[in-house]
Amino acid sequence: MDYILSILIFLPLVAALLIIVLGSSFRERFKYIALAVTVIQLFISIAIYLDFSSSTAFAGINKESQFQLLEKIPWIRLDLGSIGKLEIDYFLGIDGLSMPFLVLSALVMFVATLASWEIKTNHKAFFALLLLLNTAVMGVFCALDFFLFYVFYELMLLPLYFLIGMWGGARREYAAIKFFLYTLFGSVFMLLVIIGLYFSVINPATGNHTFNMILMMDPSNYIGNSIFSTVANQELFGISARLLAFIVLFIAFAIKVPVVPLHTWLPDAHVEAPTPVSIILAGLLLKVGGYGILRVCISIFPEAAVQSAWWLGLIGVISILYGALNALAQTDLKRLIAYSSVSHMGFVLLGIASGTVEGVSGAMLQMISHGGLSAMLFFLVGMIYNRVHDRDIASFRGLALIMPQFTAFVVIAFFASLGLPGFSAFMAEAFSLIGAFTSAEINGLLPRWMAIGGAVGILLSAAYFLWTLQRMFFGQTRLKGGDIWLSQLKDINIREKVALVPLAVLALALGIFPSLAFSKMNASILAFIQLFSG
Amino acid sequence: MMNDFIQNISPSINDTIRSLSLFYPEIGIATGFILVVLADLFFHRRSPQASFMLTILCLALVGCLNFSQLGYPAEAAFGGMIIVDRLAVVFKIIFCFVSVLFVLFVRYNQSLQNSSKGTGDLYSILLAVHLGLHLMVMSQNLVMIYLSLEMVSVGSYLMVGYLSGNPKQSEAAMKYALFGAVCSAFMLYGMSLLYGFTGSLEIYSPQFASFLITTPFASWGLGLIMLLTGIAFKLSLVPFHFWSPDVYEGAPTPVTAFLSTGPKIAGFALLIRILAPFQPFNLSGIDSSIFSMTTVLAVMAIASMVVGNFGAIWQNNVKRVLAYSSIGHTGFMLMALFVFSASGFKALIFYMVIYSIMNMAAFMIVDEIEERTGKQNIDDYKGLGKSFTVLMIAMVVVLVSLTGLPPTAGFTAKFLIFSAAIEAYNLSGSALMMIVIITGAISTVVSLFYYFRIPLNAFLRTGENQVTGIKGSPKVYITLFLVFLLIFFILFPSPIQKLL
Repeated sequence: MDYILSILIFLPLVAALLIIVLGSSFRERFKYIALAVTVIQLFISIAIYLDFSSSTAFAGINKESQFQLLEKIPWIRLDLGSIGKLEIDYFLGIDGLSMPFLVLSALVMFVATLASWEIKTNHKAFFALLLLLNTAVMGVFCALDFFLFYVFYELMLLPLYFLIGMWGGARREYAAIKFFLYTLFGSVFMLLVIIGLYFSVINPATGNHTFNMILMMDPSNYIGNSIFSTVANQELFGISARLLAFIVLFIAFAIKVPVVPLHTWLPDAHVEAPTPVSIILAGLLLKVGGYGILRVCISIFPEAAVQSAWWLGLIGVISILYGALNALAQTDLKRLIAYSSVSHMGFVLLGIASGTVEGVSGAMLQMISHGGLSAMLFFLVGMIYNRVHDRDIASFRGLALIMPQFTAFVVIAFFASLGLPGFSAFMAEAFSLIGAFTSAEINGLLPRWMAIGGAVGILLSAAYFLWTLQRMFFGQTRLKGGDIWLSQLKDINIREKVALVPLAVLALALGIFPSLAFSKMNASILAFIQLFSG
Repeated sequence: MMNDFIQNISPSINDTIRSLSLFYPEIGIATGFILVVLADLFFHRRSPQASFMLTILCLALVGCLNFSQLGYPAEAAFGGMIIVDRLAVVFKIIFCFVSVLFVLFVRYNQSLQNSSKGTGDLYSILLAVHLGLHLMVMSQNLVMIYLSLEMVSVGSYLMVGYLSGNPKQSEAAMKYALFGAVCSAFMLYGMSLLYGFTGSLEIYSPQFASFLITTPFASWGLGLIMLLTGIAFKLSLVPFHFWSPDVYEGAPTPVTAFLSTGPKIAGFALLIRILAPFQPFNLSGIDSSIFSMTTVLAVMAIASMVVGNFGAIWQNNVKRVLAYSSIGHTGFMLMALFVFSASGFKALIFYMVIYSIMNMAAFMIVDEIEERTGKQNIDDYKGLGKSFTVLMIAMVVVLVSLTGLPPTAGFTAKFLIFSAAIEAYNLSGSALMMIVIITGAISTVVSLFYYFRIPLNAFLRTGENQVTGIKGSPKVYITLFLVFLLIFFILFPSPIQKLL
C-alpha cells in the first residue's frame, strides 16, 4: 500500500464530508460512522506498527531515504524571479519519532469517539469537527514538508475552537478564544521562521528553495550568507539568528506542550471542554508540542538546542514542580488532572533537554504513556460529571462502595500516573530522570540537581493522586447530592469498559514490556542524538 | 511653422492607429457604456434587466479581450500615455472579475433593486469606473494618472451616494467627495512640482530618471509625497483612512464591497507604476538621507496595520469592522512592495485576487443577513448559526481566510506577502523592515480576535428570538462558489500562478 498514510489522514475527512451530506434523519448514526473510522484507523496504525522496520537502515530523522511509507507529490511550485523557485511538496513519511504517535492518535481518537456518546446536541457538527480534527492530528505527525506541517498544525485550531466553544462548560467562550489566541500567537511567529528557513535552504537536487524539513536539517544545504546559515552567524537584534529562530519555534511548541509560564490556557481549555475534547487535548495535542520540539526545533537547530539545553531543562523542572503544586491545591477534579498534565509533560522537556538516549527515549515513552493515561483520566472524570454534573472533589466520598469497577479503573489510572513500577509512566519518568542525571557526565548539558527536582515531582504527584483517591473513593459513602446522586451514580457500562480497557492495557503493557515502544524507536533516537549532541 | 507640424502628423496618426489595436478592451467598455445608457433609457420598462444583461455581456467580452492580451510583449501606446504590459493585463483581468461580482451583487440586492432610481445608472457608472480602473493600471504619464484616478473617484462618489436614502448615506457620500477632492488637489500639486522639476510628464522617460539621479531627494521628495497622498487616499492608508469606515457603513453594501476591492487594487497598481522610476534609489541611495521613501512607506504600513486591526476591535457594526480590517489588509499588502521585484508583485497580485474573493464574499453574506433579518451589528448575530447554518459556515471560512489561516487560500496569500517582506529584510537588513514584519504577525493574532466575534455570536451563543431559516438565494450560491474558490486555491494555486 503506497498511500497508506494518506488514507490514514484523509479517511476521517471523507467521513466528515459524508456526515455533512447525510440528512438529519441519520443523526443517530453519525457517532457510529465516526467510531467506524477510528476503528479502521486503529487497525491501519497497528498494521503500520507491526510492519515498521526498526533497523538502523530505517532510522529516519535527517535522512530522507531512511523514512518509511514515503509519499511525495509536488504541490506548489512558484517562480519567484530573482531568488529562485519555491518548492512545496505534499510530503509524508514516518520514522521512529512519529510512528508511535500514529498508534496513539488512533487509540485516543477511538476513546474520544466513545466518550462522545455524552454529546446530546448538534451531532452533525460535532462529529464533523471531531473528524476534521482527527485528520489534522494525523497529518501533523506524518508531514515532512514544513509548509504541509504548518497547514495541518493550524488546521487543528479551528475545529477545537468550535468544539470547546459550542459544547463546552460555562466559561467556554473565554476558554475557546484564549486557547486559539495563545496558539496562534506562537504559530504566527513560527510562520516567519519557516519563511526565513526556506529562503536559506536549497534543495541540492533541484536547486530550488524548499520546505523539506529533512533538507533543513543538513547544514550543507544552507546558502552561505543566508539568514539561518550555520556558517554566516547572522544576527537579529544582537542575538544569533539561529538561536532566535530556535527560541521562537520553541515558544510556539512550548505553548502547546504546555510549559510554565505559557500554560495558562490549559486549565481553562481542559476544564471547559466536553470530555471527548479534553481527552484529545491532553492525549494528543500536548504531544504535538513535544513532537514539534523533537522533529522541528532541535532537529533543525541542534546547536542552538545544545546552547539552550540548560534552560529547557530548567523550564521542564519548573513545569514538573509548579504543575504538581498547583494540582495539590485544586478542588475541581478535572482541573487537578489538567495541572497534572502540565507536571507530567515537564518530564518530556527534561528528558529531551538531557540530550541522552535514555532521556529522549524516556521523553518519547512519557508522551505515549501520558497520552493514554490522560485520556483515561479525563474519560473517568467525564463519567462522573456525566452522571451527576458535578466534579468537585469535596462533593464525593466513599465512591468505592457504590462504584467498585469504576474505582478499580480509577486506581489503575492514578497509580499508573503517579509512576508506580509496572506501569508505563514509571518507565518513562525513570528513563527521563536517568537521562537528566547522567547528562552531567555524558554531555554536560544538565546539572544533577534538575534530575533531583524532577524526582521531587514524582513524590508530589503521588501526594495529590493518593490524597484525591482517599478523599473521593475511600471511607463511608457521603455525596453532596444525597440519594438522587446515589441512584444516578451507576457503575461502569459496556461502552465505557471498551474505551477504558485498551488504555489500561497500554499502560500495563508499556510498563512491563517497554521494549514494545523502545525497540521501534531506538534506531531513530540514536540518529536523533547523533544529530543533537553529536 | 506649419510645416514642422505636418511632418509629425503622419507618424502620430500611425501611432494612434497602431495603439488602437492595443485598446480593444477599453473600446469594448466604452461601447458597453453607451449601450447600457441607451438600453436603460429606451428599454427600461419593457425589460428592466436589459442593462444588467448588457453589462454582464460587456464585462465578459472585455475579460476575454484582456485574456487575449496576456501574451503580448510590453508596448507603449498613444504617444507614451499608456503602456500595455503583463502587469496591467493581469490587473485588468482582476478588475473584470471584481466587476462581474459587483454586477451580480447589485442584481440580487433588494434595496438597490427596489429603489425608485432603478439600477441602470449604477451599471453605467460601473462601466465608466471600470474604464477608469483600466486606464489607471496602464497609465505611465502623470496627466493620464491624474485623469484616470479622477475618473474612478468621481464614479465612486456617485456610487456611494446612489441611494442617499437617509442622512447617513448622504453624509458618507459627501465626506467621501470632500476628502477625495482635497487629496486629489494635493496630488495634482505634487505632479505639477515633479513636472516643474523634471520637465517631463512621462515617469519612465530618461529625462525624468536623469533628473532624479542628479538632484537630491529633498528637493523633489515633497512632490512625490504629495503625489502619494492621492494614492494613499484611494488605498485608505493611515493617515488618509478617516473616510473609509463611514463610507463603508453608509454606502449600499454592493458598493462598499466594490470600493474595498476594485479601486484599492487599482491604487496598488498605480503605486507600483509610480514607485518604479524611484526604485534605483530606494533601498540604497535615499535611505542614507534623512528623509527616506522606504521609511515613509514602512511607517504607513505599520500605522495602517495597527490602526486597522486595533480599531476593528471596538467596532460593533459588521461593515465598520470590515472597513477597519480592510485598512489593516492594505497596510499588510504594502509589505510586498518593499522588495520591489517580480516576487513582490506576484505576492501582491496573489493576495489581491484572494482578498477580492474574501471581501466580496464577506460583504455578500453581511448583506444577505441584513436583508433577511435587518441585523447589522455583531452583537445581534447571536444564534444565527442555527437559522442560517450554511451561510454562517461560509462566513467562518471567509473569516478564517481573512485572518490568513489554513486551510484557506488566505493563508497562501499571507504566506507569500510575508515571504516578500522577509526577502526585503534579507536584502536590506534594516531593523525597520523587521518591525514591519513583526507588526504584521501580531496584527494577525489581533485580527483573529475581532473576526471571531462573528462566529462567537453566531455559533457559541444563542439568540432570543429564532429567525426561521431560508432556502438558497442567488447570493448564497455565489457566496458558496467564492468560498469554494478559497479552499480550492490553497489546494491548487496553479490557476492563479499561471496568471502571474
